[in-house]
Amino acid sequence: MKPARFRYLRAASVNDALQALAENPDAQILAGGQSLIAMMNLRLVKPACLIDINRISNIGYIDEDGDGVAIGALARHNDVKHSPLIRERCPLLTEAYESIAHHTVRNRGTLGGNLCHADPSSETPAVMVATGATLMLQSLRGQREVGAEDFFLGTYETARRQDEMLTEIRLPGRRTDGWAFAEISNRHGDFAIAVIATTLRIEDGRCEAARVVASGVGEHAARLEPAEEALIGGPIDDARLDAAAAAAAGAVDPHSDSHADAAYRRDAIAALTRRTVRRAAARCD
Amino acid sequence: MTERGHIPESRQREKPRADLQWIGKSMKRVEDPRLLVGKGIYADDINEPEMAHAAVLRSPHAHARIVSIDVSKAQELPGVLCAMTGADAAKVCDPLPTWASPPVLQAVIADDRVRHVGEAVAAVAAVDRYIAEDACDLIEVEYEPLPPVVDPEEALTSTGDAVLHPERGDTNIGLERKLTFGPVEEDFAAADLVIERRIRWPRSGGQPLETVGAVASFDDGAGRFTIQCNTSMYNYCGWMIASTLRVAPHKLNIVPTLAGGSFGSKMFVHKVPVLAAVLARAVGRPVKFMEDRIDNTTSCDNHASDRVYYAKLALKRDGTLLSLKTRIIDDYGAYLQFGVGQHGNALSQCVGPYRINSVEVDLAAVLTNKCQQGAYRGFGSEVANFVIERLVDAAADELGIDRIALRRQNFIQPDQFPYLIPTGNMYDSGNYQAVLDETLKLADLEGWRAKQAEARKEGRYIGIGVATCQERSVFSATEFWMWNLEPGVEWTSSPDGVSVKIDPTGKAFVTLHSPFWGNSPETVAAQVLAEQLTIDPADIEITYSDTDQGLNSTGPGGSRFTVMVTGAIVGAAGKIREKLLRIAAHLMEADVRDLTLQDGAVHVKGVLDMKMSIAELADKAHYYRLSMPEDLDLTSGLDATYVYDHPVTTLPDPDERHMGIFYPIMGHSCHIPVVEVDVETGQVHFLHYAAVHDCGTMVNPMTLEGHIRGGTVNGIGTALFEEFSYDEAGQLTTALWTDYLIPTIKESPADIVVGHVETPSPFTEYGVKGGGEGGRMGGPPAIAAAIEDALKPLGVTIDSLPLPPSKLRALIRDAQARAA
Repeated sequence: MKPARFRYLRAASVNDALQALAENPDAQILAGGQSLIAMMNLRLVKPACLIDINRISNIGYIDEDGDGVAIGALARHNDVKHSPLIRERCPLLTEAYESIAHHTVRNRGTLGGNLCHADPSSETPAVMVATGATLMLQSLRGQREVGAEDFFLGTYETARRQDEMLTEIRLPGRRTDGWAFAEISNRHGDFAIAVIATTLRIEDGRCEAARVVASGVGEHAARLEPAEEALIGGPIDDARLDAAAAAAAGAVDPHSDSHADAAYRRDAIAALTRRTVRRAAARCD
Repeated sequence: MTERGHIPESRQREKPRADLQWIGKSMKRVEDPRLLVGKGIYADDINEPEMAHAAVLRSPHAHARIVSIDVSKAQELPGVLCAMTGADAAKVCDPLPTWASPPVLQAVIADDRVRHVGEAVAAVAAVDRYIAEDACDLIEVEYEPLPPVVDPEEALTSTGDAVLHPERGDTNIGLERKLTFGPVEEDFAAADLVIERRIRWPRSGGQPLETVGAVASFDDGAGRFTIQCNTSMYNYCGWMIASTLRVAPHKLNIVPTLAGGSFGSKMFVHKVPVLAAVLARAVGRPVKFMEDRIDNTTSCDNHASDRVYYAKLALKRDGTLLSLKTRIIDDYGAYLQFGVGQHGNALSQCVGPYRINSVEVDLAAVLTNKCQQGAYRGFGSEVANFVIERLVDAAADELGIDRIALRRQNFIQPDQFPYLIPTGNMYDSGNYQAVLDETLKLADLEGWRAKQAEARKEGRYIGIGVATCQERSVFSATEFWMWNLEPGVEWTSSPDGVSVKIDPTGKAFVTLHSPFWGNSPETVAAQVLAEQLTIDPADIEITYSDTDQGLNSTGPGGSRFTVMVTGAIVGAAGKIREKLLRIAAHLMEADVRDLTLQDGAVHVKGVLDMKMSIAELADKAHYYRLSMPEDLDLTSGLDATYVYDHPVTTLPDPDERHMGIFYPIMGHSCHIPVVEVDVETGQVHFLHYAAVHDCGTMVNPMTLEGHIRGGTVNGIGTALFEEFSYDEAGQLTTALWTDYLIPTIKESPADIVVGHVETPSPFTEYGVKGGGEGGRMGGPPAIAAAIEDALKPLGVTIDSLPLPPSKLRALIRDAQARAA
């Protein structure tokens, strides 16, 4: 369990990192390293070059951004988890962190690295999609914004190009009133077997908007639109909960592995949809 | 002599007493100060000058012929000292030790054929581990795949290319035998009811943070190996490693290192030290081989029992248990290191704490394309506990008798001990009613029954399980060979030795001839010697012998250590005490019979102030022999060694009507977990957990409670999460700890309420029993019972482990579908 040989570059600034990325098409960015280093030790990945961004100053920020929040590339999970600003403006993310990894992993791991890694059973992509977050990608060629829904493309696959670095995550202000996150994993802190992140807006007892986002049951976090449609247009009553749960289970095509089979994942999605919607609706009151 | 054998006289010298100074105290662990600050020296902490590092290329196939292997590119990589194939190793090394008869040949590096994923195909020694692993990537192997044998029941009928060891015949059955103890057929004929179950116990294994490792060196001048290794049976059978290495036993010194959290996984490690030694001799430098996690999970010595039971329990309508019949198919993996010793072990307590008149065990040990079995907490008896407890629960349900009441009705009663069970093993003592009563008190059963009823009204599923389990301790060697048709090795002794020295200043030194393997051997030794010599444990230093110095010692395993080292120290301290009194008698001109040792000094009974401290006497013993009168037997110094034999063991009956007494120091436990099952998700949450153990006289309640609590979480792992899971191709899908799920504190009960009952053994010193296998012996059946109780309204039956959410949800889904 030792990595294959690689070159190590330490970036002193974002520009430094971008320069190195442009010059080394076979390079990977090293942020918290909580997934990358383990995969290298297993020789599942053998990057020829690592660009370490950990010494770049001032990119671990969590700042106000209009009525939303801007999170720097190197913000550690535990800083995000414990941020009062996030708790106020994106409580769904705070709630999700109750299920994410373990303390020591969160001390090193970064939100940005986690999103770029795009593990199909990771929690944070679901939150990004549910809240409509925007990801800022920068390269020597310039900067572009990608919405979370367009960022996650497949297993370990994102819209980030090889020469780009994710420099900032922008969470919008709360556009909906209700939110809830729930996950099933075999053990607390494990990668998820199934995740649902839900946001709702209810006006005059009528569900006006809903996002039901699943993770762990496909190649990447994705909205379950049939479940959302089942919720919108009326009160969140038992009939709507049942319909949404059934629609959610029908909308996923999960895989089987040693952690759970597909049938279980489908049951889990139904249960989590029901539970998150109920909790999100209660928070709307 | 009866049908079940005879019971020898007790050789106990020290009776259990109420006025003990150190035994029974929750003394802080002697080991802790250095270990907790990271100052313990483990195998991987050892660095020798010029030391090379080994890595192993492992088979990606479950079953294949090695057509060709080319190490030339690896050999050429700068920094590589040696790249060795199986053929190279076979030139300098014989097969690995085995207790199987006839033997199952196992090479340290596979030669012509690989038999499981992860089996060593080549080994590299290089200047560092990175280069060694790079070199492994450069080795080219051509395989010709053979049919993988994965399902143990299919292995019963394998032939041809699917046979792993054709030299043993055209079959994958390693051993198949039926043993019958008592009038089984008559008892079944007399039964009103027979409970039948197919029970599946999953393959798991010890998961030490510290994997197995060795640093070997070869002194070319002396023709002698030194192997520093975290092994534990080194003084008992370490010489077997020498024969594998083709040197005389005195040309090999095994030096034990601290061994982290073994739970059996380092009981007699054979592959790692042999591999390090073979490479060290080849490269002329010390070689370190430290398993990494995948080395360990795919190719360790100690995957554990992996059994299918077809079990039948015969009983009368009134609830009287009569007889137990089991057909067992045990998936041993590719090799048989300990033969089928795990089934010797299981015969020790297969009837549980119950009066059952007869037993039949029909065993097929099959060979499959998986890692070999070895030792792990329970060594096969934990499975027998699960089986009998599931059957008793099923019987109670079938008869409409309360599960607890049926147990009480069939318990062996306190006045029936020592008690011989049908297999011949003896239960030395016990009080099962008392343990059950104490547990019920701690568990608040009535309170939980009320909460359960309330919860059911709300559609919540709470369940309470009760398991009353045996916890045998102190094995004797017969368990390793009693099943063999031709015994092969037929050892009868399994002693443990100790050396004790008092230096001229009165400080005590104890040399243990067993290693530290994660438990508290130093604490136990210090407490017992302090008790024996009436000295302060702080004045005692504990060290470990190597094989050059070592006395015959079986080592820790089978919850032996506390009982055996206590016996050995009582023996050695007795010699020292005798000498102290004799010297004191000379120096104080008193009669030995008038002297007594107390508070660290020899006193003349009834005469105040007539005393000499141990320090004074030790000084005289070491340097002033000539100041004493002529006494031919009195020599200078103050030291003793003592090899303590197994306290009570007998040999199997030649006609196999019984297997003799081989695991007699019988602890007992009762576990009562309360769980809530989320029927939508299959998740299990512990609401309460009570466990009471009876391990005889407690030496250190604090460390014993650690075994109980840690063992219980261990049991939760077996019941709910842990499995070495092989797919149809024989790939181990749970080789990493991200997939092999060890429970954490989050999956454990908030507290495990622990209680004790002390029924001292009449056979061991002070009445001590072993308790090292702790909660894992009783947790799984109790948890299964609790889950079944929770899901009673749905009619779910639990007969297979583990039960992670997905598997439990599948059972619930099926039950719901049946009901609908």
